[in-house]
Amino acid sequence: MPLIKIFFPVRIYLICGRMEIIMNIDIKHIAKLSRLKIEDEKLDKFEKNMKSIVDMVDKLPEINDSLSLLDPTEPMTLRSDIAVTNKFKREDLLKNAPEVQAGCLVVPKTVE
Amino acid sequence: MRLYEKTASELSEMLNNKECSAEELCKDVLDRINETENKVGAYVSVSYESALENAEKIDTARQRGEKLHPLAGIPIGIKDNISTKGIRTTCSSKMLENYVPPFNATVINKINNAGMTILGKMNMDEFAMGSSTETSYMHLTRNPHNTDCVPGGSSGGSAAAVAAGEAIVTLGSDTGGSIRQPAALCGVVGLKPTYGSVSRYGLIAFASSLDQIGPMGKSVRDVAMLQSVICGHDKYDATSKVMEYPDYASNLKENAKGLKIGIPKEYFGSGIDDEVKDSVMKAIKELELNGAEIKEITLPSTEYAINTYYIIASAEASSNLARFDGVKYGYRAENYSGLTDMYEKTRSEGFGDEVKRRIMLGTFVLSSGYFDAYYKKAKRIQNRISSEFSSAFEECDIIATPTVPASAFKIGVNINDPVKMYYNDVCTVTANIAGLPAISLPCGMDSKNMPMGLQLIGNKFAEQTLLNSAYTYEKICGGFDALSKAL
Repeated sequence: MPLIKIFFPVRIYLICGRMEIIMNIDIKHIAKLSRLKIEDEKLDKFEKNMKSIVDMVDKLPEINDSLSLLDPTEPMTLRSDIAVTNKFKREDLLKNAPEVQAGCLVVPKTVE
Repeated sequence: MRLYEKTASELSEMLNNKECSAEELCKDVLDRINETENKVGAYVSVSYESALENAEKIDTARQRGEKLHPLAGIPIGIKDNISTKGIRTTCSSKMLENYVPPFNATVINKINNAGMTILGKMNMDEFAMGSSTETSYMHLTRNPHNTDCVPGGSSGGSAAAVAAGEAIVTLGSDTGGSIRQPAALCGVVGLKPTYGSVSRYGLIAFASSLDQIGPMGKSVRDVAMLQSVICGHDKYDATSKVMEYPDYASNLKENAKGLKIGIPKEYFGSGIDDEVKDSVMKAIKELELNGAEIKEITLPSTEYAINTYYIIASAEASSNLARFDGVKYGYRAENYSGLTDMYEKTRSEGFGDEVKRRIMLGTFVLSSGYFDAYYKKAKRIQNRISSEFSSAFEECDIIATPTVPASAFKIGVNINDPVKMYYNDVCTVTANIAGLPAISLPCGMDSKNMPMGLQLIGNKFAEQTLLNSAYTYEKICGGFDALSKAL
C-alpha cells in the first residue's frame, strides 16, 4: 500500500506533464529560440508536423540506469592546451564572407 | 564491357598491368556521367578538369615507375558535406550554395595521398537530414533502378552514382543510416564504420556524436580498400581512436565456418515488408548452409531507438547549425534591420523546412523544463541500447537484420509526412546510437524489381570480421550485379 501511495501521484503528474507538452507546442516561441522565423502561412503545417514528431519521440520509458553523457569506454584524446599558429591566410578565409571591408567582416551595428 | 562497369579492385589490377590508363578510365566515367546524369542527378558539381589532371599525373607517375597506391587513378565521388579545398561544398543547402572550403577534410587529404581521382561532389539531403535526397536544395536524385523512385538518403547521390556507373566508388556519411539505407535502395554496398575509426575533421557536422564518414562501392573488396584509405587516428578529431588499423582488403577472407550470427527478433517485426524479411532470412540461411551458426538474440530496447535517435541527433543539430548566422561565411539575407533580424532572416531563407524542423525539435528537447524529460532520458536509453549490444556480442560475432523495412518508395510520397519518413531509419539508427560498424549488402530484388538490403552489424572496431562476413555472403551470391540491372 505505501508503494502505491508514493507512485500513484507521480504517474498522474507524468501523464499530465506529457499531455501538457503535446498541447503546448508554441512554434513561434521555439522558432524564436532557434533564431528562425516561420512564415504565417506555414505556421499550421509546422505546428502539425512538430506535434506528430514530439508525439513520436515522447514515447520513452522512465529508466533509472546510471547516466553517462560521454562514452565511458572510448575516452577522447584531447590536444595539449597550447596556442596553434593559424595555418590559414586571412584573405582565403574572407573569400567566403558575405560582406568584407578593410579585411574585416561587416555586421550590423550592435551598440548605439 | 566498359571501364565504368568494373569494380575498383578489377580496375586497380588493369591499371597496374597497363591494360588501361587512368586517363582512359577517368574519361570513360566522365562520359558515363554525361550520358546518364540528366536521368539520375547524382552530382551537385563535376570537376572535369581537375579529375583529368589527376589522371594524367597518375599515368605519368606510373610510366616513371613510381610506386603507387592500389587505388591511384580510381575515380571517386565525394558527398557534398565533406570539405574539399577549392571545390564548392554546399551540403545541398542554399545556406552554403557558394561556400568554397579553404581546407581539406582529413579523408580528402588521404584520398589525394592515395592518388585517387576526385570526380565531383554528390547530391544529398540538405545537411544530411532526410532519407530520400528530396530535401536537397539543388535538385532531385533518382534511383537508377527506377527513376520514379528515390535513391534513399541522405547519401543518395553517392549511392545512385555507384549504381549508375557515374563513379567507381564514393564517400558518404552516416548519422542514422545515411550510407546504408541508400546503399540498400540502390543495390550497392555501403559501410558505416565504427564511430572514431574515420576522422570527422572537415565533415560539416550534423550530429557530432553519431556522424561517421564511410565508403560505398559495387563490391565488399572495393569498400574494404577504400576504408583502409580513409581510416586511422587523426589529431584534428578528438574522438578519433588511436590503434593499429588492419589492411582490411588484404586480410579479406571467407569466414562462414563457425561464424556466430545473431538474429534479433525485434528487427523482423510487423513494420518490415514480408519480401524484405524473406530475402534477409534466405541470406542468413545461405550463410548457415556454409557453416555459420545462427543464434536467436534479443535487443529489447530496439523499440525506443528511433525516438532516442531523433532526440539526440536533433539536439546536436540545433547546436551545430547555430554557426550559420550570415556573418563569417555562407548565405546572408539581403534586407534586414539589425543583428537579430539578420540572423533570423538569414537562417529562415537559407535553411529548408526539414532542417528547420530538426533545429526546432533539438531546441525544444534541450529547452528549459524539457531537458530532463527528453534529452537526459534519451541518453539513458542510448546507454542501455549500447549495453544490450555488448551483451549480444558476448554470444555472437555479427548481427544480421534488414537494412530498410521496404524497397525504394516513389518520389513525393513521404516528403510531407516527416514521421513516416523517419521510420525508414528504424533498422539503421541503433548502430549509430551504439557507435558500431554496420554494412548494407544487396540481397535480391523484390516483386517491383527493386533492390533490398541485408544489414550486418559488428562489434566496435571489428570491421575485419564484419567485412569478412560480408565478403563471404558476396561469394555465396557469386558477386553483386547491381549495375547490370540499373539504367
